[in-house]
Amino acid sequence: MTDPELIEGILRRDRNAFQYLVDRYQKQVIKTAYYFVGNMEDAEDLAQEIFLDIINSMKSFKQSSSLATWIYRITVNKSLNMVKKQQRRGFVMRIESIFIHQGDHKNSIENEPSVSPDGEHREKRELLHAAINRLPENQRIAFVLCKYEENSYKQIAEIMKISLPAVESLIHRARLNLQKHLVYHFSEYQKT
Amino acid sequence: MDCTGFKSNIFAFTEGTLSEKLLGSAKEHLESCTTCARLSVEFSQVVGVIGQDKITEPNPFASTRILQHLENAFDRSENRLFKGWIRILQPVTIAMAVLSGILIGSYTAQRDDPGPDRMVNSSENIEFLRSNLFISDFADEDKILVLNNE
Repeated sequence: MTDPELIEGILRRDRNAFQYLVDRYQKQVIKTAYYFVGNMEDAEDLAQEIFLDIINSMKSFKQSSSLATWIYRITVNKSLNMVKKQQRRGFVMRIESIFIHQGDHKNSIENEPSVSPDGEHREKRELLHAAINRLPENQRIAFVLCKYEENSYKQIAEIMKISLPAVESLIHRARLNLQKHLVYHFSEYQKT
Repeated sequence: MDCTGFKSNIFAFTEGTLSEKLLGSAKEHLESCTTCARLSVEFSQVVGVIGQDKITEPNPFASTRILQHLENAFDRSENRLFKGWIRILQPVTIAMAVLSGILIGSYTAQRDDPGPDRMVNSSENIEFLRSNLFISDFADEDKILVLNNE
């Protein structure tokens, strides 16, 4: 099925077209969402909403870019919204834990078992994701699409609707910021 | 290369994109600086997470869940449309039923009304009762009662 046929099928609300769309793009959508939200379960839940959004907004797709690029755009936007929601939720939960479970939290840290290899890996993932999430939005998108998705600069420029030099600049600055953040983290860690 | 120089090139060093000259200099520095050597290991482990994340595959049943979610969403929207129509059609149907009841009632009343010219007299009434209710013998009091009631 070609892209125009797929689009036509979706507009006709053809169930076979939906199935084809999901089969063809689910991996791209879930993995991109996963790189942004940092959790596979959340990414899979988010993918359901993303596909619904794709189908419902297919009428507005002007076909000035490829379908894959358009789907990337929707996925990135939805993922960033989810990250923002997670950050807000995390902030509220942190405040709650400070005020409500102050004593319990202290005890749980004291009783924590020694760090397992899985725990160590998770810790590193969390550190990297935290560093990536601290990047400005444009740098974060460009970095994820480049390093995780291995998209070319041209593809990233199309997805983000910016020029090639702008993509290069964003990725360069993202790398510098990440480097700065991680080096600072490890320097502080080594001091303690 | 000193510590500051190494730290500002650590990303490129980890990814292996450093130029030959800088790479040699960085390696030389790492041999003499244990702090930077440790930092380099820690940094490469964290950046290595990107490669590990890339090979993480989604659940093979994810597509089934997605399709089910889409089906449910479309069913919900169709039901919502149907319920919307029901909400409009229900009061309209009731109103129409009441209105047609009133119209049929008034039409029937007009049709069955004999009018002043078609009034029947008492003897016709008695005949009607006799023939329809199979009463063959009316007592005189009954006749008087019927006549008085007119």
